[in-house]
Amino acid sequence: MASQPTPRAPRRVAVLGGNRIPFARSNGPYAKASNQDMLTAAVDGLVARHGLAGERLGEVVAGAVLKHSRDFNLTRETVLGTCLDPRTPAYDIQQACGTGLEAAILVSNKIALGQVDAGVAGGVDSASDAPIAVSEGLRQTLLAANRARSAGERAKALAGLRPAHLVPAIPENVEPRTGLSMGEHMALTAAQWGISREAQDELAAASHQHLAAAYDRGFFDDLVTPFLGVSRDTNLRPDSSVEKLSTLKPVFGRGDGATMTAGNSTPLTDGASAVLLASEEWAAEHRLTPLAWFVDAETAAVDYVHGDEGLLMAPAYAVPRLLARNGLSLQDFDFYEIHEAFAATVLTTLKAWEDADFCKARLGLDEPLGSIDRSRLNVNGSSLAAGHPFAATGGRIVASLAKQLKEEAGGGRGLISICAAGGQGVVAILEA
Amino acid sequence: MTKEIALGSAPDLRRIYATAALRRGNASGTLPDVRYSRAGVRVDVDDLVAYSRVCHFPVATSLPLTYPHLIAFPLQMVVMSGDRFPLPLLGAVHLENRIEAVRPIDVDERLDVSVWAQDLRPHTRGRQVDLVSEVAVRGEVVWRGVSTYLSRGTEQPAAQTSELPSREQPAAVIGGPRWRLGEGTGRAYAAVSGDWNPIHVHALTARPLGFPSAIAHGMYSYARVLASLGPRLPESGLTSRVWFRKPVRLPSTVRLRTAFEPTRTLSLLEGATGEIEHAVVENTW
Repeated sequence: MASQPTPRAPRRVAVLGGNRIPFARSNGPYAKASNQDMLTAAVDGLVARHGLAGERLGEVVAGAVLKHSRDFNLTRETVLGTCLDPRTPAYDIQQACGTGLEAAILVSNKIALGQVDAGVAGGVDSASDAPIAVSEGLRQTLLAANRARSAGERAKALAGLRPAHLVPAIPENVEPRTGLSMGEHMALTAAQWGISREAQDELAAASHQHLAAAYDRGFFDDLVTPFLGVSRDTNLRPDSSVEKLSTLKPVFGRGDGATMTAGNSTPLTDGASAVLLASEEWAAEHRLTPLAWFVDAETAAVDYVHGDEGLLMAPAYAVPRLLARNGLSLQDFDFYEIHEAFAATVLTTLKAWEDADFCKARLGLDEPLGSIDRSRLNVNGSSLAAGHPFAATGGRIVASLAKQLKEEAGGGRGLISICAAGGQGVVAILEA
Repeated sequence: MTKEIALGSAPDLRRIYATAALRRGNASGTLPDVRYSRAGVRVDVDDLVAYSRVCHFPVATSLPLTYPHLIAFPLQMVVMSGDRFPLPLLGAVHLENRIEAVRPIDVDERLDVSVWAQDLRPHTRGRQVDLVSEVAVRGEVVWRGVSTYLSRGTEQPAAQTSELPSREQPAAVIGGPRWRLGEGTGRAYAAVSGDWNPIHVHALTARPLGFPSAIAHGMYSYARVLASLGPRLPESGLTSRVWFRKPVRLPSTVRLRTAFEPTRTLSLLEGATGEIEHAVVENTW
């Protein structure tokens, strides 16, 4: 009988660095760049910064939310266009705005299990170079013609074409099962939780001010590679203030209760990011110093379809599960990175954790998770200022938090929370 | 004694509608004692897929809860267009519908369908009648539908009306699906259901019948609600009822709000801002 292999203990996973291109508002400087162009730039910048040209990595995992059907193998095609060894395998994933962080979880898990030693997790999105599909009627007609076995059958199928079929189908930012846009969903949740306009504008202004300060002190010098003449996120307004933001008209919600504006909601954005993850041994062999450890992660989903829970509330459920598994309280963190899909998303999540009824009825907790020290929240700005190319946000946050923990704070623990379409949430813990 | 008439194939609904305007209904107060039936009906998979796409049901091995209604509907029309039927077919209003699903029906089962009218009775706005449809597989009834139609006529204020369930919504319900129903919704459903009633087809054909625009088929709105509730409903032992309140004028946007209880759901299909109640759907099991 063959001997049983001894199970290997999981290994620590290091975040060695990250790289992104500056994020740009859609239909701006990157309007004609494809997802593959941007992801290649982000990965190549990462490769150059860490001296990995010609290196065969364990894997590259990335994805895009808005994706052309021709990009079925986007990440592998990207790898073939980078300086990495072309024998580096790759695969695509998609978990809406959770894509980038989920990619990091997948790579980390393989490293922890010893299946790979090093890998890249990334994400990219272009709201400008978006796929446009033919209408459902034209698609069905063409497919029927394609199935036809004779010229006659083909002619009959094509005779079904109607002028209306020529109107293309442009991707919509709506949840398929509710017909509501993400902003409309968030407006319902914000109204339910009584999130004020002023609190949202304060959070948005702080995001811009923090991001601008981080750029000014050179924090992003080794995290961002210029692309197409852009060296800073184009959505950034360093002089943003509550006063200026307060003049904007609401765009989501109705009537007096409408609080969400273009200023406290993220704009459609183009961009890409990538993160280098590895085992301690691999890092040492390559003389790379870990910025932080990728400790643990959790994903959750809520049933938002019939209104039982808000669309973007899943992180509120994922975090307590992650805390419990790691024996931590919400206050045991030095930094909090809560993705600013909308300012109201962050504020609702924080309010839910402070709410005894919510924590008891929905999370099954005897005590609420409590408040956080707001001066530790999104200290280098977040999506309201940087913009939010859906799948690229996770990589942006992992790299920034890892560097913040190591180089700015000299160690500590950080929490990442990202909400995603489809009522999902992805959260993770980093330590340095 | 009940007269049984077995039909060999599905009746042509367009022909029935084309001649419906000529039939005024028999003024008598009694229903003809007749049942129409079709034996061994097979579901056409292409038709099923087309229906499922229009109503947003998943394409699956078992039929959507409302699909047997489609098979029975032509027989309903035959019953209602008969010479001795006491109400005119054209202008009949679908008031309520009730479906009892004993068990799911597989797409490849042969269905014996029979339809009859019963319970002609006064309604506050005229007279109403139930069209009963039964679907049996190898002698076992697996699905039963009751469609209640109103024929507007002499007002009868004393008439009994079917009681609507209480529509109290739990406070937690804050959202819910919202659907944009385009101008062509009625034609799309007509194409898959065969129900080319002119009130659903186009504003131009609806106007002579008293509607300023085409209105959505009640069974379409109802199907959308059931499709949205989807896996939260059991497939066996389910009783589903719908009360059609105000018609959905096309085009328009509607919203769905549902309260879930352990053995019951209650859904309201309303105008986008809740100003109009289009339908109330109650499922119990």
